[in-house]
Amino acid sequence: MSVEDSVISLRNIAHTYSLGGADLPILRDVSLNIDRGESCAIVGASGSGKSTLLNILGLLDRQTSGSYLLNGQNTADLNDDQRAAFRNNYIGFVFQAFHLLPRLNTVDNVALPLLYRGLKRNEARQEAKEQLEKVGLADRLQHYPADLSGGQRQRVAIARALVGKPSLVLADEPTGNLDSDTAQSILSLLLKLNSDDHVTLILVTHDDSLARQLGRYIKVASGALIEDTSEQTDERRYLR
Amino acid sequence: MRISHNGPSFWQTVDESFASLRLVGRRSILALLGISVGCASVVALLNIGHNATSEAIKAFKGLGTNTVIVSLSTQPNVRRLAPVTIDAPALKVAVQQIRYIAPIIIYPNKVRHSGRGADVIVVGSTPDLSSVLGLTISQGRNLSEYDAHSTFALAGVGIAKELGLRIGSRLQIEGYLFEIVGIIDHHLANPMFPIAPDSAILVPMKSMRRLMPSPEISSLVTQVTDSDHVQQAAESLKIYLASTIPTRTIDVQIPEQLLEGLKKQTNAFSYLLAGLGGISLLVGGVGIMNIMLTNVAERRREIGIRAALGARQRDIRDLFLVEATVLSTAGAIVGALAGLVVSYAFVKISGWTFSLSLPSVPLAILSSFCIGVLFGLYPALSAARLPLVRALRDD
Repeated sequence: MSVEDSVISLRNIAHTYSLGGADLPILRDVSLNIDRGESCAIVGASGSGKSTLLNILGLLDRQTSGSYLLNGQNTADLNDDQRAAFRNNYIGFVFQAFHLLPRLNTVDNVALPLLYRGLKRNEARQEAKEQLEKVGLADRLQHYPADLSGGQRQRVAIARALVGKPSLVLADEPTGNLDSDTAQSILSLLLKLNSDDHVTLILVTHDDSLARQLGRYIKVASGALIEDTSEQTDERRYLR
Repeated sequence: MRISHNGPSFWQTVDESFASLRLVGRRSILALLGISVGCASVVALLNIGHNATSEAIKAFKGLGTNTVIVSLSTQPNVRRLAPVTIDAPALKVAVQQIRYIAPIIIYPNKVRHSGRGADVIVVGSTPDLSSVLGLTISQGRNLSEYDAHSTFALAGVGIAKELGLRIGSRLQIEGYLFEIVGIIDHHLANPMFPIAPDSAILVPMKSMRRLMPSPEISSLVTQVTDSDHVQQAAESLKIYLASTIPTRTIDVQIPEQLLEGLKKQTNAFSYLLAGLGGISLLVGGVGIMNIMLTNVAERRREIGIRAALGARQRDIRDLFLVEATVLSTAGAIVGALAGLVVSYAFVKISGWTFSLSLPSVPLAILSSFCIGVLFGLYPALSAARLPLVRALRDD
């Protein structure tokens, strides 16, 4: 596949933190292509730079150097508002701590990205309901996050990530706060959505057994990427 | 792929701000109270100032809006004297609007009665004076046309008490004894009038010749028939007098001019009060800023989440700005009502009649609104500029 078909195309990405005058390299010379519909696990020890990589991919942080093409668009050319629009339209986030807004109920939490897109509240709620049905929470529409279990909250978060029909879902340790059974069901849900909706999935995790279930397995160590292609086949990459 | 990204509508933002203010609850009530007190004091002080002004003007008007005061002042290099008398009937014919006119000759002097002496203003005038000034006689009788050459006198209630004057008392002025025929009742001093009746001795104008070698009219007080034509009457009076008394400079004063001065003075007073209210409004603004800064600090993660979901900086800014504005506007409305109640109570207790200062309410609400926006802007901007990665990490 060519670069044009890639959802993500990183070229020589470096990221450095300035801490008390000293430059602290977090990522050095990272290059990576991820195609539409792929699922990709990113593993690595704490402080390896995988969160920074995810922040750059999610347009939450800017790389110090190198180029990042998202859906063929060079992100260096985007201003803050355009980056917000890209996040809203192309990227869905799933966080370890769920990050739902506590005072909004399930439907309104899921509808929130659509409100920032300029949709009317009723339309947004309607789409949110449909998305919640997809993740199996049709009977929890009016609940508040505090009334939901960890697994249910993460399903709400997944519904919120997908409600805007993004081309890319970034999941940052989505199972980190869950027990292993729930973790497995959450991952299965993500993988199902990945294969059903053809959404590109990038998942950061500590759990090797979960990571191995994804199409690609990329390890971050000392700011560099090492891809393990030993078990990789084209069929596995796209999980059709 | 088409990108649509217009942000939430204004009403969605307002709706959100209500929800989050409800959540903050008691603390937003306190911030609201601060702005309410500020707005209430602006409304109350403006209204009290307004009512005090109208009350003062009313009191002034009660003392004669149809009065014209003429003062004759010497011109440089003119040695000739002013006339001793004035042809009142001729004047009334010339200036139709004039009902009463009384010339005044003022002679400050030492008077004596039964061994006591006092410095008083001896006023020579005609019986019309009582009508123009609205003097009433509490004892005895008034002076009349027939007393013109007599040595009769009226005493103000104040000087009568001081010297122990009664009807029939003989008061020594210069070398003459004047008989007191009447006591003038207490009369409120009016800053417009050249004399204060309470402490004056009134004598017939023609008998002033006995006291002074060359008496001169220093001023004239007139009353016109219709208060709507004061200005006009004053003009024609001035022209007439200027032609008949060429040796003096004629100045006419009407209550309107004095009222103008009074209004200016009380307006300055009102502004001072409003300024005080403004200061408390400013303090209320600081309260708004305080709660909004706390709010932003406590909701860093929410800001991060919203940004990750596609909120632009301006969406985040608007979220907090609208919240501050809703808070200050609600406070302003509560405060404006409280201010009206307070000023109404104050006016009633003072025994005045309440009249609403129309611009006070919109002015106070508008300035509270501006204060809210002004003091909400910094917290809102600091929320919008929060670094995303750090905001999302915040636990």
